[in-house]
Amino acid sequence: MLLKLKEITKTYPGVIANDAVSLELNSGQILALLGENGAGKSTLMKILAGLTQPDQGTIEIQGVDVVIRSPNQSRQLGIGMVQQHFALFDGLSVLDNIALGLPKIARSELRERAMQLATTYGFQLDLDVAVFSLSAGEKQRIEIVRTLLSEPKILILDEPTSVLTPQEADQLFDAIRRLADRGHGIIFISHKLDEVARLCDSAVILRRGRVVGTCDPRGGAQSEMAAMMLGSQLPDRTQRGTRTLGAPQLVIHDAQSTQGDAAIKSLTLHAGEILGIAGVAGNGQDALFALLSGESSMTQERALKWLDQPVGGLDPNARRSQLGWAFVPEERLGHGAVPHLSLTENALLTNLADPTFASNRLIHWSHVTQTAESIATQFDVRHAGLHRQARSLSGGNLQKFVVGRELIKNPTLLIINQPTWGVDMGAARHIRDAINTLAESGGSVIVISQDLDELFELCDTLCVINHGTLSPPRLIDDWTLVELGLAMGGQTTETIS
Amino acid sequence: MIRLIRRADVTAIHSLVSIAVAAVLTLVISTIVLFLTAKAPVAALMQLLTYPYQGGTVIVQWSKALNMAAYLGVIGLGLSICYRANVWNIGAEGQFAMGGIGAFGTWLLLGSPTAWWAIPCLIMGGAFAGLLWASIPALLKTQANTNELLTSLMLVYVAAQTLFFVSNGPWQAPVRYSPSQTVFLPESVQLNAIIPGVPTFHMGLPIALGLFVVIALLVLYTPFGYRLKVTETTPRAARFAGYSPRVTVWAVFLLSGAMAGAMGAIYLMGDIGYVTEESNFLRGFGFSAIVVAFLGRLHPVGILLAALLLGYVAGGASWIQANLREDDSIAGFIEVIALMSTLASALFLQYRVQWRGFATQPQENR
Repeated sequence: MLLKLKEITKTYPGVIANDAVSLELNSGQILALLGENGAGKSTLMKILAGLTQPDQGTIEIQGVDVVIRSPNQSRQLGIGMVQQHFALFDGLSVLDNIALGLPKIARSELRERAMQLATTYGFQLDLDVAVFSLSAGEKQRIEIVRTLLSEPKILILDEPTSVLTPQEADQLFDAIRRLADRGHGIIFISHKLDEVARLCDSAVILRRGRVVGTCDPRGGAQSEMAAMMLGSQLPDRTQRGTRTLGAPQLVIHDAQSTQGDAAIKSLTLHAGEILGIAGVAGNGQDALFALLSGESSMTQERALKWLDQPVGGLDPNARRSQLGWAFVPEERLGHGAVPHLSLTENALLTNLADPTFASNRLIHWSHVTQTAESIATQFDVRHAGLHRQARSLSGGNLQKFVVGRELIKNPTLLIINQPTWGVDMGAARHIRDAINTLAESGGSVIVISQDLDELFELCDTLCVINHGTLSPPRLIDDWTLVELGLAMGGQTTETIS
Repeated sequence: MIRLIRRADVTAIHSLVSIAVAAVLTLVISTIVLFLTAKAPVAALMQLLTYPYQGGTVIVQWSKALNMAAYLGVIGLGLSICYRANVWNIGAEGQFAMGGIGAFGTWLLLGSPTAWWAIPCLIMGGAFAGLLWASIPALLKTQANTNELLTSLMLVYVAAQTLFFVSNGPWQAPVRYSPSQTVFLPESVQLNAIIPGVPTFHMGLPIALGLFVVIALLVLYTPFGYRLKVTETTPRAARFAGYSPRVTVWAVFLLSGAMAGAMGAIYLMGDIGYVTEESNFLRGFGFSAIVVAFLGRLHPVGILLAALLLGYVAGGASWIQANLREDDSIAGFIEVIALMSTLASALFLQYRVQWRGFATQPQENR
């Protein structure tokens, strides 16, 4: 037994990140660690990397109990980690980058060892070119070689394929298999079920901090894994009344962003409809939001129609002032609000095109202050003064402020990304109620979320985003758990259309 | 172990404390260096700090500081607008030089008038020339995504060569003047001294002050100022608010270029009177203004104080050079120390320091 985690528990204020997690890894094994965002994968990896300590539980490496206090110690214990985001210096050569962070070693020897590793595992790697000229796949190989040079017994790869092309991913999988053949134990973190099925020989599924199942991913266990990731059953929808939808308002047909990072084939949104967009994190939710809000441009103005008018060419402010739309991005600090500006100043951020807030020459501060005050009272924002910086508020309170700033305008269409992300229960309740109220009064809403419970509570229709592409929406009652899981995991079967 | 902990909220008191820390640091380090380098350190320090009252005419000495502060303040304010928008214009020296050339060119184009109305025309001509010069890096940045640090700096050297070219070429004065310069502007088109006998205290100073106040109000209270505040730290929020980054780049470059150009025109008409080669025309205002912008934390009030400080220090340094034969490069040194202290103390504005005692964590072997 290479690695054994027993009953690892780690709590942060208000959340149990890992709840008695146990897992075992043998040498030569490729273990998949599966789970949604917030399932507890990163916390577990941080514990293994020595970045944080568990509250309870033990870690055993090759039969010996260990306590991992620092990243250095983790490395000495034979744990190597390849992060999702590269830590490379663009201006330096590949060899220089490899040399950084390693103990002092002669260049010629380092070169020889790096070349040897590269050939053993089938990497093509030119050691003398500068890093900035390389593709993401090549950069990742540098990280892997750098990690392998410290001769780890356990290699952890954190979503390694998220930046790779399919061909690069295939090469990576070959290398991983060779590593396993040579006796390394591999932990492969992912939420792409098809990759796990191709590569791994066992899988541990985490959900809300707990291990909810283990299985052998080979041989068509994909729907089983999807179901475990999402929960054993779809959320209960019986308390939710049915809503009658109004006339079609927003019609999207073949919309594509100019950068090509987001696309919508076809979508219709009615008055009073709440449309949910489900999807695993990192599948282009941000790009889709930017396409809808006008922050990124689209190839065809006619692809986006509001009340039969083409509106794809309008910028965010024009969409706000001419169409009455409102947007709430996922990132509160730095996108939806400016951290170092006061709450009052932040109340102005999305109202700049409104002449009651600001003309060309002057800002009407009395009106801005009044608005900030009404947002705070109507949406129960607890603050120590509206002159305080936005970043001094707790996440939940700031989210209530940012959502309130948009809802107080009574928008015709609200596009909201992760409405209750990192927000406490009370604030989440408040925000969801407000979204419902808007829809009941005839406004349309698009909710992008990774929380299925939330989507099933709020939405009338639901579609899934995968690799930046949106599936056609369906009535929420027509989705089954298995289909949803497959669609989110990138498996588009013929039935999902 | 010392740990830095990010402050949840930054208030005015934190700001004042960090400025005080910077001032003390600057004073202490400068004093040490003066003691190490000066022949008569005590006298040098005393005279440096109180030079207007060391025997020269008080008003003449003060006006030297104010004169320099005017140039540094206005150009620095223009640059601060760029820096707030994350646009790194470091070519104000070139925009200033082109302002001088543009003003002189305007005078020639108008048919070398001697009437007073030429003065506002020349200032506008200078501002326009500075604006045009700044539009080159703006165009390159928005169209070709060129790094404006490089282009704006390189254009300083082009502008310096242009000074050489016009003063030795097409605009060179007849032989009775000294070589490589243009003719003098007529007395009536120069900005005259407000107080007789104090040539550095000329009409250009109140004009500069007016310009400074107008632009400061623009930065502090208008939607344009709000745009800068949003763009400064969060470009993504700026996009979300509907601001086009491209328009921001153009606006800040043109505005700062026009301000530096206008000051170049004022310098031509108030201080020097003719266009000449780089070494006799440029005094590094455009570069010191970068220091002023950061010393003033990119805030108009801070920039005003920083400009006065550097103007005063430069005056003091030239006084001790003339009077005590000390090296006046101490001025440049103090400028740098003040900047470093300000930047360092800005850290304490964002973070508070926590002392956690020794050996609370195992030592990493590095």
